[in-house]
Amino acid sequence: MKRKALSGLAMGLVFLAVTTAQARIKLVALPQREAIFLRLDNPAFTLVEEERYLMLQKGSNQVDFSWKGVNIEPDSIRLEILDHPREVKLISVSFPPNEAALVWQLYSPEPFNERVRVSYLLSGLDRLVTYEGLVPMDESVMELKSYLVLRNFSGEDFSQAEVLMDYGESFQKSIRHQETKRMLFFSRPKLRVEKTFSWDDWKQPWDPGKLEGNVGIPVFYTLHNTKEGGLGENALWGGKVRVFQEDGRGSTIFLGEDLMEFVPLGEKFSLYLGDSRDIVVTQSKMKEERKVKERNNSGKPILWDMEEILEVKIENFRDRPAVLLLTEHIPGQWDMASCTHEYQLKDFQTLEFRIDLKPREKVNLTMHFHRRNLR
Amino acid sequence: MRPCSLLAALALLLVPFCLARAGVELVSLPERESVQLTIYNSADLTLVRELRKLTLRKGLNRLSFGWANTMIDPTSLSLRALERPEAVQLLDVAYPPRVSSEGIWSVQSQLEGEVPVEISFFTSGITWRALYLAILAPDEKSMHLEGYVLVTNNSGEDYQNAKTRLVVGRIHLLEQIAELARRPAPYGMPLEAQGRALAEEKRVLMRKAEAALDAAAAPPAPTRPKEIIKEGLSEYFLYTIEGTESIPNAWSKRLPSMQASEVPVLNLYKYEEERYGKEVVRFILFANDLQHKLGSSPLPDGKVKVFRRVDGQGHLSYEGADSTKYIPVDQKVELNLGPTPKVRVEPRMVRTRTENFSFNKDRNIDGWEELQDWKLEVRNNGETPSRVEIRRNFRHQYWELSQEGNGKARFEKLDLDTVSFTLELQPRERKQISYTVRFFEGERRNHR
Repeated sequence: MKRKALSGLAMGLVFLAVTTAQARIKLVALPQREAIFLRLDNPAFTLVEEERYLMLQKGSNQVDFSWKGVNIEPDSIRLEILDHPREVKLISVSFPPNEAALVWQLYSPEPFNERVRVSYLLSGLDRLVTYEGLVPMDESVMELKSYLVLRNFSGEDFSQAEVLMDYGESFQKSIRHQETKRMLFFSRPKLRVEKTFSWDDWKQPWDPGKLEGNVGIPVFYTLHNTKEGGLGENALWGGKVRVFQEDGRGSTIFLGEDLMEFVPLGEKFSLYLGDSRDIVVTQSKMKEERKVKERNNSGKPILWDMEEILEVKIENFRDRPAVLLLTEHIPGQWDMASCTHEYQLKDFQTLEFRIDLKPREKVNLTMHFHRRNLR
Repeated sequence: MRPCSLLAALALLLVPFCLARAGVELVSLPERESVQLTIYNSADLTLVRELRKLTLRKGLNRLSFGWANTMIDPTSLSLRALERPEAVQLLDVAYPPRVSSEGIWSVQSQLEGEVPVEISFFTSGITWRALYLAILAPDEKSMHLEGYVLVTNNSGEDYQNAKTRLVVGRIHLLEQIAELARRPAPYGMPLEAQGRALAEEKRVLMRKAEAALDAAAAPPAPTRPKEIIKEGLSEYFLYTIEGTESIPNAWSKRLPSMQASEVPVLNLYKYEEERYGKEVVRFILFANDLQHKLGSSPLPDGKVKVFRRVDGQGHLSYEGADSTKYIPVDQKVELNLGPTPKVRVEPRMVRTRTENFSFNKDRNIDGWEELQDWKLEVRNNGETPSRVEIRRNFRHQYWELSQEGNGKARFEKLDLDTVSFTLELQPRERKQISYTVRFFEGERRNHR
């Protein structure tokens, strides 16, 4: 006779006098799950722990565990005796041919109604985190809500499972096979937000006027996973963030979305939401002149400096102030002869200017520098 | 014909808290009280907000929301109580197995009776674009500018009496809403599960639900075109159309968005061989500012068709068309109307010579200077005055430009290797620009 072909997880207790293959099919009791825990802290596998009561007879007992159609990692299956761990012994684990099943052989010195815990790794059941931000009209703070999305494509239904994460309180949830559920994970009312605009001479075109469409200047919100920033309790899982803004009339508009990477405690993170076309940056090279320093015997230049002048025109067409982070690159060895604005050296070739623009302000930035010892 | 739309089939299901899906009883079907559409133009994205009154019972309530045959992003579904949110707790939203286009909210309510709620989601399929008509005065010194917005609904859903808002701006999206709307599972599947799902029989249970489109009484016939209220929010500009609009699926609507009369304009004729070839290209210049009787809001990108009034009877002639970029307030605008024979520019090099040779120690030439004398013939064939801008791009940055005698013209260095001459021509006038450019080659570049 064949094992009862049930899809899903099944656990059967079989009383044995003689351990033969035929005897296993005599299914006597199918113990119900007393409790089930889903631990979702590992993105690759979910650890499932289920507790059940087994009516053990004195002597040898066989427990069938099958998982047809369920994505269990067989090597990970583990049985733990909870009430009488010293008395009840696990004698052997055997795997019948061509079946998603195993048989535990247990020895019990006395009849026990024994609580056991079966644990295994399950794939196809996981969680995502998504975020929703809401900023007021002045964009100074953000209300951040985090949602947990449970996706169950594991082949198994779970009823009233205790769901555990790597942080946050556990909660009970039922979720069926092929079901997705979304629920609020946490909500923080006022996170400090800094809004910046960003222009990089290696990424953005120098003369947007020559291009067909508008050139957008990327807009970022920067937040801090710190107490001062309004967070700072746990690392934040990566996920999609959608940001809305109040419109002052009881409704909101959607500002944009970005993928947030994992944010450790104490770190900051930036969200790229869209492009502004109300700030225009135009860069021109006004001078590039070679100054020969050394020649070879044939008189050919072998070492020279390059004198360069770059002019950057920044126009704020907005009626509000703006902070522009302007990134310029000067590769190799160089020194600045004069520069109209202060900058921070991010690395040997990357200069970052923080330009505070007033409403409708136009700013001209000029860099006069020498690139040294070119060959 | 209207498609079979099941959107807005919002059903309130009162069920005991159990996993069973079958046997739930449809208790009430709340009506859509109002709807607001916020339509973006840089992406296929519309934010829909609906207000409804749900009749809740104390305890657990289940609300089913279906959207078959529409283009809704299921991950964007959101529900919130507008009054006493602390008493109406949203436990979760579930996307049931093997059922596409349905979400079920579990709501724990401490209230009994009617509760106003807001349901919001993203849909694709509703788009809008701007277009403009410009009519130049006969003397071409001013124009009348009309702006329109064209809203098109291909979302699969009729929207009756919707408050409509249009967003100007460029939004960052990770995925297209239309793609999210087509996903078999709203948030996708865990990687290992995807292969299996494909192999499984795909059986989609279409939940029958009554389309709950409110056949609201038609508003009274309007006596004037609707106004559009404009305001800035973050990096976006919001056009709110006065009152409400009904946009049935597959229909478009054009609404006036702005108009301005006697906007001063300048005709500029540009010549730059590297960009436009040998022909002169005509531009209409103005600025989106108060001086030009504009400047109250940015102008969204769109096609502009330019006409000219040719006689006292108001007849028009077509001058050309261009697609404008987005124009912020205070920014200058250049409409490119294409090549025109009205102005001709003929550059001629009349003399070339080399001098100042330098030699290396082997007496080989290692540097020289090349001089080129240029004459540019500029002709205005038209009946109106013209401003002409001629750009000359030099072969490198080692040059000097000089002008002597007749043919001097104002020029400006634009960057390393570009200069621009500007001159004004009266009707039928001819002018000549002369200049000499000296190029430094080889070693002469190091000894200027």
